[in-house]
Amino acid sequence: MANHGGGGGCCPPMDLFRSEPMQLVQIIIPIESAHLTASYLGDIGLIQFKDLNAEKSPFQRTYAAQIKRCGEMARKLRYFKDQMSKAGFTPSVLTETKGDISLDDLEVKLGDLEAELIEINSNSEKLERGYNELVEYKLVLQKAGEFFKSAQTSAVAQHREAASDQAPEESLETPLLTNQESKSDQGKQVKLGFLAGLVPKAKALAFERILFRATRGNVFLEQAALDEAVVDPSSGEKVEKNVFLVFFSGERAKSKILKICEAFGANRYPFVEDLVKQEQSITEVSGKISEIKTTIDAGLLHRGNLLQTIGEQYEPWSLLVRREKSIYHTLNMLSIDVTKKCLVAEGWSPIYATEQIQDALEQATIDSNSQVGAIFQVLHTKEMPPTFFRTNKFTDSFQTIVDAYGVAKYQEANPGVFTVVTFPFLFAVMFGDWGHGICLLLATLYLIVKEKKFSSQKLGDIMEMTFGGRYVILLMSLFSIYTGLIYNEFFSVPFELFSPSAYVCRDAACSEATTIGLIKGRDTYPFGVDPAWHGSRSELPFLNSLKMKMSILLGVTQMNLGIIMSFFNALYFGNAVNIWFQFIPQMIFLNGLFGYLSLLIIVKWCTGSQADLYHVMIYMFLGPTDDLGENQLFPNQKTVQITLLLLALIAVPWMLLPKPFILKAQHNRRHQGVSYTPLEGEDESLQVEANHDSHDHEEFEFSEVFVHQLIHTIEFVLGAVSNTASYLRLWALSLAHSELSTVFYEKVLLLAWGYNNVIILIIGLIVFIFATVGVLLVMETLSAFLHALRLHWVEFQNKFYEGDGYKFHPFSFALLRDDDE
Amino acid sequence: MGFVITTLSFVAIGIIACLCARVCCNKGPSANLFHLTLVITATICCWMMWAIVYLAQMNPLIVPILSEEE
Repeated sequence: MANHGGGGGCCPPMDLFRSEPMQLVQIIIPIESAHLTASYLGDIGLIQFKDLNAEKSPFQRTYAAQIKRCGEMARKLRYFKDQMSKAGFTPSVLTETKGDISLDDLEVKLGDLEAELIEINSNSEKLERGYNELVEYKLVLQKAGEFFKSAQTSAVAQHREAASDQAPEESLETPLLTNQESKSDQGKQVKLGFLAGLVPKAKALAFERILFRATRGNVFLEQAALDEAVVDPSSGEKVEKNVFLVFFSGERAKSKILKICEAFGANRYPFVEDLVKQEQSITEVSGKISEIKTTIDAGLLHRGNLLQTIGEQYEPWSLLVRREKSIYHTLNMLSIDVTKKCLVAEGWSPIYATEQIQDALEQATIDSNSQVGAIFQVLHTKEMPPTFFRTNKFTDSFQTIVDAYGVAKYQEANPGVFTVVTFPFLFAVMFGDWGHGICLLLATLYLIVKEKKFSSQKLGDIMEMTFGGRYVILLMSLFSIYTGLIYNEFFSVPFELFSPSAYVCRDAACSEATTIGLIKGRDTYPFGVDPAWHGSRSELPFLNSLKMKMSILLGVTQMNLGIIMSFFNALYFGNAVNIWFQFIPQMIFLNGLFGYLSLLIIVKWCTGSQADLYHVMIYMFLGPTDDLGENQLFPNQKTVQITLLLLALIAVPWMLLPKPFILKAQHNRRHQGVSYTPLEGEDESLQVEANHDSHDHEEFEFSEVFVHQLIHTIEFVLGAVSNTASYLRLWALSLAHSELSTVFYEKVLLLAWGYNNVIILIIGLIVFIFATVGVLLVMETLSAFLHALRLHWVEFQNKFYEGDGYKFHPFSFALLRDDDE
Repeated sequence: MGFVITTLSFVAIGIIACLCARVCCNKGPSANLFHLTLVITATICCWMMWAIVYLAQMNPLIVPILSEEE
């Protein structure tokens, strides 16, 4: 139906009932004020721009270069953030300093900062590496020196032993490792060389083995483990290493050993066997180490300062870059005029925002010193506008619940209006316990009181959802307290709050209390379920009967409400066919059968008759003319039943048959004189390609419409039974809740109480609390939430809701934050 | 008679709630209508719940049979 904003004359307008009336606007902006205009429109946040350059690739668009710049700056900001988090800084919270930094200045500044930061980082890396190498070198010097010293002392000891045999030609001062020509008889020249270095401890054994194999056992390897891990210069991580000293003979062995050292990542360091030189080297290295350390520390301090200054400015810069990027994205969506003097924008905006937009355009013209002002005009189109509801923080969460199923079609009745009350109410029917309700209330009041603090924080996923739904939970808890009072359950314990129980013993001695039971001696318990029922043997049959009938009554009421909403929709859109050939037969069918059942329930309760309602309903269909006998609830019941049955039977073809034929006749009438169409006018200087789709139903497939109506009818008729039965989940869940609650109370708390021991009581209390919170307050809440949701989405909304619209998503800086994060 | 009296008191509470809503949040006719709808819906839901439970207990077909341990 291409009839937007039809009647509405039937009833006064109500907030949130129908989506805001929208209009398609066209704005022609001179180029010089384009940027400022977009900025001001973004501040208002009430236009959803259409992409007029959809066929162009991102690189062909007008402002592609600007977007690239913004992207570069965003990358640099991300790099800074990375560096800051690595160094342990957090950017300070956004202070409202509207520092007017222009984008160009910011770009230059960011470039400089990035270059500086990169330089600092690479310098410190180099210094770190040098430092680590020196540390390792020092360790090698120390350990290898120790080894040589110990070897020398043992050699001295040996020497002393052999001193008696030999003449002391050689003193201790002779170096250990010399050409052993003097020692050996053969003229074989054996030159022993050695290498010193560090090898990772994990690879030490393999290193040793391979050395041994490669040189055929002609090496001597001495290893000493280091006590603490050193930082490896190349990888920068702490590794456990061993100092090694390998003695070999010959050049080939040396080259093999060198290659093996490389393969194992063993770092080699020069080592001289001269003791004096060793001492010198150690002092030298120590000096260098302390020098480098100071340099490194200075570098870190400088970097820290730099990051601090960045951190203070980070949030405003980041926001500025995002703003600019979104402005250029939006500007890219506008089509540029051939003469390159102005941009054309098309977009949806709510009608009430017209003045605001015009003001913003004027302001932008003034501020940009442009000669020409922007032109604002409304276009007429048959396209379906987006759906926009003006919600506040209270109704927003309920609208989200409805939108999760499907966004409302433009201006159709919004189930959100009733959902605000019926959703928490149905939840409460399944949750009814005023003790648990109070717990939920306290929890949600905490969230609401700390609203300001939580909304500025970044919360986890689950916490985010819970916080977003705090008003829903508030209503849920209030209604739960109410239904808890009605079901008379406080952590499953009933109280005689309003008057003494209606049930008294039959005789003074109460002898038959446990066999035949009590008797209703006083007035009905005025508010809720009589406390005498709890714990009795006939509690379940009574409560089950009560809750099942309650579910049917509530269900029939909600479904009727749904059908009445469809009536209002038909009235608003001027759709008389839907009223006469859909609304009325639907009402007749549903109320003739299930409304009648509800009536029977109420009559049975009022009269206290013993009629079997199952029997009545079933035999209304199977044997309508049979005599009712003792199932008679009111006089002439048989006649009434036969009438209702006939009406229901007529209602089915009434829903099915006339509508397709009438639609066909309407279509024929509308397209009788369509042969001549007027030529398109060419007066406007800026011809907008009015490419708006024509939903003109040029093709009318009768069979398609008929099948559609058939499906709709079958869905309704069968749905009447299944949806009514579906409401029985209200009974099922409330039974489950009360039974769980009873079990936890009786089998945990009372059991612990019975032992008369404080410790067992405390343990029992703790178990009770954990069980109540975990199972009843969390799991049952989620469960009842889900089922109430299902009842709304399916049983209530399929009576009237189409939900195939699309949401209004304006160009707004306020929404930027939610989008990007 | 308890049924009629309590029903009337529900109606009275509903009217008072509507007036309170009108007094404390008066934000224009469409917003007022919305608040009115919410209050009326809530009142009707609460009344229905109470009425169902009350009617069910007016002429009971079964009575509480106490369990053995008392």
